[in-house]
Amino acid sequence: MADASPSSEPSGPVVFLKSELTRRSLLAGAWGAFGAFLVASAGGAARFMLPNVLYEPSQRFKMGKVKDFPLGVTINKEQRVWVVRDEKGVYALWARCTHLGCTPNWFPAEVRFKCPCHGSNYNLDGDVIAGPAPKPLWRCAVDVTPEGDLVVDKSQMENRPGFRDRGSFHVMA
Amino acid sequence: MNIPTLKEAKDLLVNSQVWRSMFRGGTWKDTSRDRAQHILGNVWLHLHPARIRQRAVRFTYTWGLGGLSFGLFMILVVTGVLLMFYYRPAVELAYRDMKDLEFAVSLGMFLRNLHRWSAHAMVLLVILHMVRVFLTGAYKTPREFNWGVGVVLLVLTLFLSFTGYLLPWDQLAIWAVTVGTNMASSTPLMGAEGPFSNLVGVTASNDARFALLGGTTVGANTLLRFYVLHCVAVPVLAGILMIVHFWRIRKDGFSAAPLPGDAPEKKMEVWPNLVVREYLGAILMLAFLIGWSVLVNAPLEELANSGVTPNPSKAPWYFLGLQELLVYFDPWLAGVLLPGVITMGLMAIPYLDPDPKNGVGFYSLKERPFANSVFLFGIVMWFVLIVIGTFMRGPNWAFYWPWESWDVHNKVPPPRTWNLIMVDFSELSGHFFTSQKVPGLRVAGPLGVATAFAAAGALFGAYFGGGLLFPKLVKGDWPLKKSIGLTAMGSVLVGVLAKAAHAFLFRFDFISKNIPHFGLTEISYLAFFLFVVLVMAFILPQKFLRKSTLSPLQYGTTMMLLLMMLGVVLKMAARLGFNIKYLFSLPGLNLNI
Repeated sequence: MADASPSSEPSGPVVFLKSELTRRSLLAGAWGAFGAFLVASAGGAARFMLPNVLYEPSQRFKMGKVKDFPLGVTINKEQRVWVVRDEKGVYALWARCTHLGCTPNWFPAEVRFKCPCHGSNYNLDGDVIAGPAPKPLWRCAVDVTPEGDLVVDKSQMENRPGFRDRGSFHVMA
Repeated sequence: MNIPTLKEAKDLLVNSQVWRSMFRGGTWKDTSRDRAQHILGNVWLHLHPARIRQRAVRFTYTWGLGGLSFGLFMILVVTGVLLMFYYRPAVELAYRDMKDLEFAVSLGMFLRNLHRWSAHAMVLLVILHMVRVFLTGAYKTPREFNWGVGVVLLVLTLFLSFTGYLLPWDQLAIWAVTVGTNMASSTPLMGAEGPFSNLVGVTASNDARFALLGGTTVGANTLLRFYVLHCVAVPVLAGILMIVHFWRIRKDGFSAAPLPGDAPEKKMEVWPNLVVREYLGAILMLAFLIGWSVLVNAPLEELANSGVTPNPSKAPWYFLGLQELLVYFDPWLAGVLLPGVITMGLMAIPYLDPDPKNGVGFYSLKERPFANSVFLFGIVMWFVLIVIGTFMRGPNWAFYWPWESWDVHNKVPPPRTWNLIMVDFSELSGHFFTSQKVPGLRVAGPLGVATAFAAAGALFGAYFGGGLLFPKLVKGDWPLKKSIGLTAMGSVLVGVLAKAAHAFLFRFDFISKNIPHFGLTEISYLAFFLFVVLVMAFILPQKFLRKSTLSPLQYGTTMMLLLMMLGVVLKMAARLGFNIKYLFSLPGLNLNI
């Protein structure tokens, strides 16, 4: 076919098409297009399941006057945060077990947080001392407003020893 | 005019044009032909054969488990659709609607009970159905594919239960689904907290859990998603697969697979013999469930509260084995990899059969000692985990014997755990026998990392490589009972030797602090689990697999599945007996084994 056509066809592209378009290549192209359509549909469906706008509570919130938090652990169930005051200052632990996301309970006598779902135990620093949790508890960034309000930001978190003890993760207040 | 007798009235009706247009077949003469025609001419009955092998009708062959599972599915569809009339899947309304169903809707409580208990019964019967099919060799050629469809149906049954229990929007709902979906976020690569996902840019707002929840926490989007999955998507998918399942049963010659080598068996007419039994089974089951639902109310906990987790927080019984498994393994293993391997492994069973003609069509316990031992070991293990989770776990998921009271304050806190091998990328070092408090042995620099990887490779290589190789190396024929006895003695000997080694190494910190005590309990743990693993992974395979006709691929797959199952047992022993948390830990990549 490619040999016969050049004389009658004036321009390049048409010759190209005419020489290449066999039944076999057309079907291969059609199957390829169908495959691409399926892949694109799967991708689109997956993307469709990821919402773009969330109507979830703000990650940054005020917790009250910082001077009102006593030494030790103050539990806030609404925001799911434990505010801990030690000699050096204040930090906020996110009350979410790093294993599978349950809310541990605070046992002051044993100085442990214990998770009710699979038995992970944490100390006051947030380090795992027993049970299956793979990582220390997350600490949220904290800040004190000029009015003396404690502001906790769950969108910034840290749990590495060293990093979690300085800057906005452990403030003097 | 004469008043017609009952018989005349019936004849009048049956011979009318209206009746004849609906039900064909002419006058019923109760001949063999009539009975066959009744099955073949009826859309609902024609999935049956006209005649069936007598063995299939015997109750103790199938126990009616497949048919009853389908019956339960139908009960669930009917009660579920009824419940949908009063239930709205919105966070503010769902729990109120549940309360209305309980207290303000006529028969609402009863229908909810029936729905819940039927769901529990369906999970149980589907599992038992699988066990029955396995024990009678009914998954073998030509039924391999249908066994696979059945495995998928089992998974869908569990997924239907899982999606269903978010809907009441009580405390169980929100916390079970929180735990379940967090497992999705530990999927390798696809979950934000899973191994390697930090390498491919997967975060909490684009991972598998986010897609499942429609957000970052269990909320309004999640409730709606699970409602759609539970009421529409999964039942439709399960229905389609049930059509395939039943169609294949028909095409593969119905239940009670033909006995090999025998002459054609005696068959009996399905109408009325089998149909009567089916209806009787369905009626008895329905009566039992109605009675149960009148007497026992389905639990409804307090309104969902994302700040407080009930203590202890327990999943429904069929997931408590998984919940217990999650105590010993990181979620990417216990929640993702192992369930995946179990599902794939179950589907692979028919293709790993050395003799597809052996032990088909009857309870072939003696004919297939290896297959039955391995399969039943897995099933028993699963139910042991369920029993531990149900009866022996109390507040803070601490271990309590069933007769102990759940006294939180007298409970000794769980012991500190330690890791065998750990790689620390951030400071470039390898650690052995290390824990939060005990530094253990630390090898710094790239050499340390390389040493740790080599040690981990050697550990897992020795287990899986040795497990694959050793059964093949045996020469001669070992008598089974004698070798099991010798294994038991050897295991005890190893336990005692380990005790001696511990006494010798006790002067090193990394041993004395991590294993402070090595007494009779520790020796028994070591000896018992070593014995179980050696018998299952060495003695039985060398006896029954070494000379079988399995191809190398089939042998390798069988042994890998077996070794993984026993690896679970070993890891549990390591945690329970010796407080080993991870055999190999790579925290930088969220990879802990």
